[in-house]
Amino acid sequence: MTDTQPMRLGKETVGVVNKLKVGIARRTEGRGVALLVIVVVLVAILEPTTFTAYSVTLGRIALIGLVALGLTAVILMGELDLSVASTLAVSGVIMASMPNIWLGVVAALAAGIVIGMINAFFVFYVGINSFIATLGMLFALRGLAFVLSDAKPVRIADIDAGIAFGTPLLGPITPRVLIFILAFIALQVFLSKVRAGREFYAVGGNRQAAFDAGIPVRRRIFTGFMISGFVAALAGVINTLERTAADPTAGSSVLLASFAAAIIGGVVLNGGRGSVLGTLIGAFSLGILQVALTFSGVQVDIQDIFIGSILLIAVISDPTQLRSAVTGIRSWFQRREKSQAHT
Amino acid sequence: MTTQSIETIGEVGIKRNQFNLLVWISERGVFVFTALLVLFGVIFVNGFASLINITDVFYRAAPIGIVAVGMTFVVISANYLDLSVVAQVATAAVILIGVSNDYGLPLAFAVALFVAVLYGVVNGIAVGVFKANAVIVTLSTTFIGLGILRWLSGGSIFFGPEDGPIRAFGQAKIGAIPLSAIVLLIITMILWFVLTRTNFGFVVRSFGSNKEATRLSGVNTPLVVIGAFVITAISAMLAGFVLAAFSNTAVSTMSDGYDFRALAAIIIGGTSVFGGKGSVLRTLLGVIFVSVLTNILVLSGIGFGLQQMAIGALIVLAVSVDALARKVTKK
Amino acid sequence: MRRFRILFPAAAALAVAGLALSGCAATEEADTSADSADSYNVYALLPQGTDQPYGTTYLPAMQARADELGIDLTITNSQYDADTQASDCEVAVAAQPDLIILWPAVGDTVRPCLAAAEAAGIPVTATNSDVNPEDKDLIQGYSGPDTYGQGVSSAEMMCDAADGAPTNIIVIDGATGNSTAINRHEGFADYIAENCTNITILAEQPGNWNKDDSQIAASEMLTSVGAENVQGIYAADDTMVAGAIDALKARDIDPSSMIITSIGNTFLGNPLVISGELYGTVFQSSSWDGTNAINVAYDVLTGVPVEANLFMPSVKVTIDNAESADVAPEW
Repeated sequence: MTDTQPMRLGKETVGVVNKLKVGIARRTEGRGVALLVIVVVLVAILEPTTFTAYSVTLGRIALIGLVALGLTAVILMGELDLSVASTLAVSGVIMASMPNIWLGVVAALAAGIVIGMINAFFVFYVGINSFIATLGMLFALRGLAFVLSDAKPVRIADIDAGIAFGTPLLGPITPRVLIFILAFIALQVFLSKVRAGREFYAVGGNRQAAFDAGIPVRRRIFTGFMISGFVAALAGVINTLERTAADPTAGSSVLLASFAAAIIGGVVLNGGRGSVLGTLIGAFSLGILQVALTFSGVQVDIQDIFIGSILLIAVISDPTQLRSAVTGIRSWFQRREKSQAHT
Repeated sequence: MTTQSIETIGEVGIKRNQFNLLVWISERGVFVFTALLVLFGVIFVNGFASLINITDVFYRAAPIGIVAVGMTFVVISANYLDLSVVAQVATAAVILIGVSNDYGLPLAFAVALFVAVLYGVVNGIAVGVFKANAVIVTLSTTFIGLGILRWLSGGSIFFGPEDGPIRAFGQAKIGAIPLSAIVLLIITMILWFVLTRTNFGFVVRSFGSNKEATRLSGVNTPLVVIGAFVITAISAMLAGFVLAAFSNTAVSTMSDGYDFRALAAIIIGGTSVFGGKGSVLRTLLGVIFVSVLTNILVLSGIGFGLQQMAIGALIVLAVSVDALARKVTKK
Repeated sequence: MRRFRILFPAAAALAVAGLALSGCAATEEADTSADSADSYNVYALLPQGTDQPYGTTYLPAMQARADELGIDLTITNSQYDADTQASDCEVAVAAQPDLIILWPAVGDTVRPCLAAAEAAGIPVTATNSDVNPEDKDLIQGYSGPDTYGQGVSSAEMMCDAADGAPTNIIVIDGATGNSTAINRHEGFADYIAENCTNITILAEQPGNWNKDDSQIAASEMLTSVGAENVQGIYAADDTMVAGAIDALKARDIDPSSMIITSIGNTFLGNPLVISGELYGTVFQSSSWDGTNAINVAYDVLTGVPVEANLFMPSVKVTIDNAESADVAPEW
């Protein structure tokens, strides 16, 4: 062919508006944004204290969202990491057990990375399904936290440092919120601009194709689990500092909230689709909702029913899955009609 | 046995003469290890072989076992697990004692059955029709279910009458074997029959092996998933009854940890979490293994933290063996 | 396709609308009571509510007293999670109430909460579980049982009954890592170590506040150390001791032949004391606890001087006083 023009398939998208439309349609955060808008509007009308006391809400969002950010990296690759709750507890206990705070922080973060490596080892080298591998680690690490702490809370060496850590630096920004913002930026940049990060999507979308394309899948999986472990350990360190003591039973509420934030934000559990931005939006929705419910004094049972329902609706209404579900139902009816027509 | 013929397909890739330790462990391992563990207990652990202790092992095994054999259906259908068994067991226990105290047993059974089927259908539709991830779906139904249970029951403990039929059932034994263990055995037999001898069972297994192929062959796959979750829910209901009968009390927190403990038993029994492979008998063996192990650990005075670590390590070990064995058979 | 993009937001809108309606009801109530002359806004940060039997009876007593005194209560339940309670505390401080009632989930972790409240000028009182000694200057007063002291009381009863004779016992603790369990254990163990060295603890396992787990754990411990070597049992609450007593009965051991003590004087425990199967328990009145939490708070709000500690009398309940109306069980 002498024509050097590239082959065009379909209608060309011309104009800013159309390009914008196509760009937005491809994004996965749609449902997250929709829920956020609804939550913000309703909360603003009914429980505005949630916004006037925004430092509290920001703190709650940072609490939920930090672990969720790390989890997103793993979920994008099509894997799961259930061990984050116990990683949080163990790293907190390790940190509090050290005589020096800085030494404790380093030790705790190192533990998180090591746990991530162990998870990745089982997933990649041994070939275990990540759900099971991290489930076993969830049990084992929880037991380890109990053993290391003698099943009791462990106080940190320097209590005042811990309380200082909890005080705001600038306006509503406490060190926790600052770390959350930094973590978000770091992960967002990594997953969208750095090649290694972008390859996470490929590893999740089609593992075999990623292998064939020459992507170092092993290295990516290790990196992903190490990120998740590191972030969970970071959350453990922050919690322990703010509480001034490490509680070996900590972390159980984190598991649900983190997964919920990621899923509400549009991260697909099978991997390959989603974004850290979506997780952030999910964390916002969940955090605002939780704080609003607490302010309004609604019973915990009812809170659980609400959050459970919202999560259920979120997870069954993934647009791509809905499409296939509807097609399936429709074709089932069509087949029945056809077979009835034949009789 | 149909389960064996599926296993044979994997073995064909290995040379007749070649004996692979990993494959052997993953297929026969749980039988041998359970036997070894029991032997270890009889020889080395003081009091293990006494009648009373055997009864205790059965008491440990029965409620979890009934949940686990039912949940095997969900795992075999490659849907990970059903976390909402926690809510289902507690709900059934509270309904049994709470309703029968005021309105009699038959109504309690009816209400519990209705609620169990409701759980199964809701979970099944979400996972089977909407194709959502079972972990998240059942996590959310757990929250909703426990929330409703606590809201309606007010969180109180319910007590059965001291001389009532529930208590009598919980105390009854045949020799050293409590009635609850007999119930476990009967349910295992029934579910074994369903999984291996009925068309439904066959379809569940094939769905777990290859969802797409099963769907294309004309099977109504959403119904398969719903069926698996309903079976799990009814098993959880029966487990709740057994648990309530044993202690003659019911409270919303009594089923804590049942989800993961049941899954641990299923995995250690050798059912693959990838789906397709496994059996209800293996799950029963896995339950016995975990119960005997915990029993031995307590008899030896080992603390809770170490018990958790042991079980976690075991899960990882069991699944590692299974995964490595799969790799070998693929070559 | 577009239809389904609407499904999720619509359904979510329904869910949040439901929330809104209930929130509406709550705010309406708040508005009307705020209009009345001296009504106070108080936040109660609790670690349990209707998810546990004690909390289930604590709450109504607290609410009733609050209504009598014109206090508008907002109640949170952190389910014994320290991080959740810290977050609830932030919410409470931001709401600028007149006072905060704190029931610490984990005593070691509440200092930051107390410091924040102090910085915001909000007085704090403690209920049920006291703060650590070094944090006492940050609260205005404490009311409640002394969970450490309850362990001590139970130990005192056991020591009295043992009367100097060498006595071996087995111990059943509450849920691992739970602060009530830890305090009661330490109270019991410390007292025994200092004042009653003739008592030896042969084995110890958690009963998880459950009757069924406790029965199995007790039975296994008896097997492990030999039932003939055991002269007494201590369990951290009545529900668990009922399980241990069932374990004895299953072995045809008469419970009244052993020294058995626990804590709670609940619907399960009180009848056991009357029948002689349980030697002694410690009365814990959930309604006293709830009512006095408000009493102390009200005194602080109205400027009445308040003692540092208002301890719930740890009334020992033995067969002598078990049927008295003063110690009628509440939960």
